Amino acid sequence: MTVGSQVKQTLAGLKGVGATLKIYATQSEEEEIKTVFTDATGITESVIKDLEERIKVLEFQEPQYKGH
Amino acid sequence: MPEWINILLRSVAFFIIVLILVRLMGKRQPAGLTPFNYVTYGVIAFITSLVILNVVNNIAFGLVALVVWTMLPIALDLAAMKSKWLHDWINGKPTTLIKQGKVMEENLAQVRLTGEELLRELRAKDVFRLADVEFAIMEPTGAVNVMLKADKKPLTPHDIGKQVSPQTEPQTVILDGNVMDESLANMGLNKNWLETQLAGIGVSLDNVFIGQIDTTGDLYVDLYDDAIQMPQPKVKELLYANLEKCQADLLTYALETKDTGAKDMYDKNAEKLEQLIKKLKPYLLR
Repeated sequence: MTVGSQVKQTLAGLKGVGATLKIYATQSEEEEIKTVFTDATGITESVIKDLEERIKVLEFQEPQYKGH
Repeated sequence: MPEWINILLRSVAFFIIVLILVRLMGKRQPAGLTPFNYVTYGVIAFITSLVILNVVNNIAFGLVALVVWTMLPIALDLAAMKSKWLHDWINGKPTTLIKQGKVMEENLAQVRLTGEELLRELRAKDVFRLADVEFAIMEPTGAVNVMLKADKKPLTPHDIGKQVSPQTEPQTVILDGNVMDESLANMGLNKNWLETQLAGIGVSLDNVFIGQIDTTGDLYVDLYDDAIQMPQPKVKELLYANLEKCQADLLTYALETKDTGAKDMYDKNAEKLEQLIKKLKPYLLR
């Protein structure tokens, strides 16, 4: 497995986490829980963004594995 | 008119009258009654049975007595709400039985409670050692309430400085296979959402006896068919584990890469996720 596909796997996992957090943020009635989960969504999104940038670089370096 | 018809009619009439009058007197439960409340209810019961069984021939006499014995307590209750003095006078005041760990013998004598009875009341509250009691009080209703010494109280999350997620009351959304639309609406959810959730765990609505959702919207169901093992909602635990995995992945990449810029990025984000994991722990694991 190349570095690129490993990072992609982590990215997919993190995206799943972000989505679940978002569901909890919308479902919760309690204001405090809502805020915590909304903040958490923001943080995961910023990490996801950084990882996506990194994947672009990796795909440029390992063009033969692009899309894997 | 035969006697039995007379009694039948009186019974039915007074059944309804007494039902209405007692409902008017409020919904306090027998356990929260002061001795005088017992007397009131007793008198009402006696008047009723005397009239029903034709011991008191004149129905009007019975009705007058009944109305007085229901309306006066209501009037007194209302007056007691306005005046603290009247309230204490009618209901009595609580009596301190144990103060700063010491039994107040005079107060015990005042409420005519023996040492043996005091210990029995304490045991009823799961307190077997007198030494554990800081404070005990007898309410006007005769119930004894106990405050334990600070080091004997049950441990709370606050005591160990642990943060916990706030919880609201769970909403019962399915009862006997029927969807409770009102409680669903309380959570801001609808029938479609519920159907999706049930499809997700592979259960049909008519097989569900009770379904509840908690503060964060996780659904718990109890099925008619007890042979089916229902998985407990584990989404939060999975979410937590996934977060930890992602964080560990980022740390690994930071170690593996030779690009210093990428290394910094991985380290920074791993740190971010670590903070996040710490923050979310009380909300996801409990």
